[in-house]
Amino acid sequence: MRYLMTARNTETTPAPDEKLFVEMAAFVEEMTAAGVLLATGGLAQEGVRLVSRGDELTVTDGPFAETKEAVVGFALVEVDSKEQAIELARRFRRIVGDGESLVQQIFGP
Amino acid sequence: MTGPTGARGGGDAAAPAPDRSPPAPGPSGRDTPDVHAVVSAVWRLESARITAALVRIVRDVGAAEELAQDALVAALEQWPATGVPANPAAWLTTIAKRRAVDRIRRAEREERKHAELARELAEPMHAAAEPAPGDDTDESADVLRLLLLTCHPALPTQARIALTLRLLGGLTPEEIARALLLDTTTVTRRIAEGKRVLADQRVDFTGRPAPEELRERIGAALEVIYLVFNEGYAATSGEDLIRPDLCLTALRLGRLLARLAPLEPEAHALVALMELQASRQAARTGPDGEPVPLHEQNRGRWDPLLIRRGFEAMLRARDLLAGARPGPPGPYLLQAAIAVCHAQARTAEETDWAQIAALYQALAHLLPTPVVQLNRAVAVGRAEGPQAGLDLVDALHPDPTLQDSHLLPSVRADLLLRLGRRAEAQAEFRRAAGLARNEAERAFLLRRAAALGIAVTGPDLGAAAEAFLAEAALDASSRRSYAQTLRRLRAGLGETAPLGAVTADQVVRVFATAWGDAAAATWNRHRAALRSFAAWAGHEELAAGLPRRPAASPAARPAPPPRRDLRSLLRDPGVPARDRALWRVLHESGATVAAVLALGVEDLDLAHDRARSGAVFVCWHPETTPLVAELAAERERGPLFLSARRPAPARTPADGADLCPRTGRRRLSYERAEYLFKHATRELDPAGAGFTLRTLRAGM
Repeated sequence: MRYLMTARNTETTPAPDEKLFVEMAAFVEEMTAAGVLLATGGLAQEGVRLVSRGDELTVTDGPFAETKEAVVGFALVEVDSKEQAIELARRFRRIVGDGESLVQQIFGP
Repeated sequence: MTGPTGARGGGDAAAPAPDRSPPAPGPSGRDTPDVHAVVSAVWRLESARITAALVRIVRDVGAAEELAQDALVAALEQWPATGVPANPAAWLTTIAKRRAVDRIRRAEREERKHAELARELAEPMHAAAEPAPGDDTDESADVLRLLLLTCHPALPTQARIALTLRLLGGLTPEEIARALLLDTTTVTRRIAEGKRVLADQRVDFTGRPAPEELRERIGAALEVIYLVFNEGYAATSGEDLIRPDLCLTALRLGRLLARLAPLEPEAHALVALMELQASRQAARTGPDGEPVPLHEQNRGRWDPLLIRRGFEAMLRARDLLAGARPGPPGPYLLQAAIAVCHAQARTAEETDWAQIAALYQALAHLLPTPVVQLNRAVAVGRAEGPQAGLDLVDALHPDPTLQDSHLLPSVRADLLLRLGRRAEAQAEFRRAAGLARNEAERAFLLRRAAALGIAVTGPDLGAAAEAFLAEAALDASSRRSYAQTLRRLRAGLGETAPLGAVTADQVVRVFATAWGDAAAATWNRHRAALRSFAAWAGHEELAAGLPRRPAASPAARPAPPPRRDLRSLLRDPGVPARDRALWRVLHESGATVAAVLALGVEDLDLAHDRARSGAVFVCWHPETTPLVAELAAERERGPLFLSARRPAPARTPADGADLCPRTGRRRLSYERAEYLFKHATRELDPAGAGFTLRTLRAGM
């Protein structure tokens, strides 16, 4: 099964430092090697928002005020169970510190 | 974050102390049901590394596995009470290593090892708190070593698969049994057997094999991984066409190996091949589980992520061949290149069949297997037209591996259909359906036959054969003999082939494949049986293409393989134990092949290096006895020499005496045994055909 994990920052999320980069690189490397991590990346704070309502489509350029709600990174993993996905997210959170992650199963393709 | 512990703990994971801040919920707490799931999730992710590190410490695969299991049990006992530790993986590793130390201390090994182990133990505790990137290489080397061990050439293939799934995949014997459609006892036995062989091998648990050897060993590991993948991807038996969890396990192992041996082009090529094949998984089966052939698949359902990953792996393999590891493309690279051709075609019509046909031709040089030849014929049929494909298929040397496979008739059926020869195509689809072992595939083939809508008149072959055996006035031994002939005919043409549509040509093909190389007497016996059946059925013309063969003169008796070659072959640990035992018994006893294959476990008299065969004994050299004993293992009765597989439900049920009561596997057939020996001795034979089993009896 595939899961998408997205991470959001909160007020207490620490700024990334050298140590975090090293640990994160090692973690990504390890999960890729284990064949579990299919794709991952960080997301730019700027973005474009599209809102549709009836026939109307509003396109707004970022950055947006409520940055704390923005997704800052994602990982697409392939595992055998929800628990495995959670375990991976636990390790991820241990490395990045305060903040929140969402783990959602992907259906399809 | 919604981890089961809820808390973020960076503390010393080595201490199995509660990590939860709320009062411990106790065994009945609300999280308890999750603990099992968490433990097994962590285990699946971590067991390879844990076991690999333990193997380095205790230098014994069996002991390492036990220690790892102990750690797992400890987690299952403690976590429900204490909560899941912050770093479960490190917890498991530490406990396992601690137990390894205890074990060695108990065994009072030398001081030197103590020191080594103390260091070993101190390091990961450290690493658990703060993972040191430098540790990684050691760990990778451990895991690679473990993978090469579980794929060790001294192990029988089945044991390699079971051990790899167990130790690298972290699967329980029950899970392995489910995945491979075996019973748990068989899997447990294979694992135990594998560990015993490894223990006897005195393998080097620490050193790195020489580059040449390493390549070869990696090749063996790739083979095991691809076998696992194929078992999942093209489920050979059972109800489901694909078993995705097995594919996923193989993919993971492949990705792992490619990381551990990054300079091995074939490792990346295998990953590419598997990613690309897996990308088609969703499109390969229809709503009712029926197979959808490649050219009819909805390409919009192919997984673009896996395709991209496949392309990337392919590029890595090609780069290596162009740079660090120059050389000709290997078999996985060629197969991956074929998969790339398919993935690049946006529609089936855009497929570059000429390129695929060329790749198959190159592949056929490396792997001249009938299945590769057949696939080449399919590609040529697309590139140059159905007649060219059909010519190639019909030129294929009749091969026992294809003889009972539905592949050959279903490919022929397709080509015939495209040539507009509908009646023949329908007959071939029916034949294929009769041979398919997978339910979904069989139903699909029957539907294709039915879609051709040609009315079938008269009885089908299976019913006619049964009626003949029941009605004709035959004594018991003729009936058995006739049944054998007709069984082969039914297997070759399909149970449901309408008798009226069977042609003399088809009969000739079945006979040539089954008994083309047999002694004249055998040929004539089957010929007589067929003539009798044909006369009974009012279709005398069926036997028209089968001339009687003159009996061979004794001078024409084939020569045995050269003595020196034979001796090393009989001692070659690379040959499966069953085959080695059979060949040695034949060679040393001088008994007939039929008599030796007919031996049962209950006939054995191992204390005297012999077995009872009717009123006489088949005797062999005492050195052969351990091999025979290994075959009998813990069985008390049933055939001594068993086929590798259990019979598929669709096959004619074997006589009870021909089935192993424990495993349900069938007695090894003469044809199969003959094929294996010929195959193994092909290189020793100047004519390149290989030797027959009978020649083994000739020279003591």
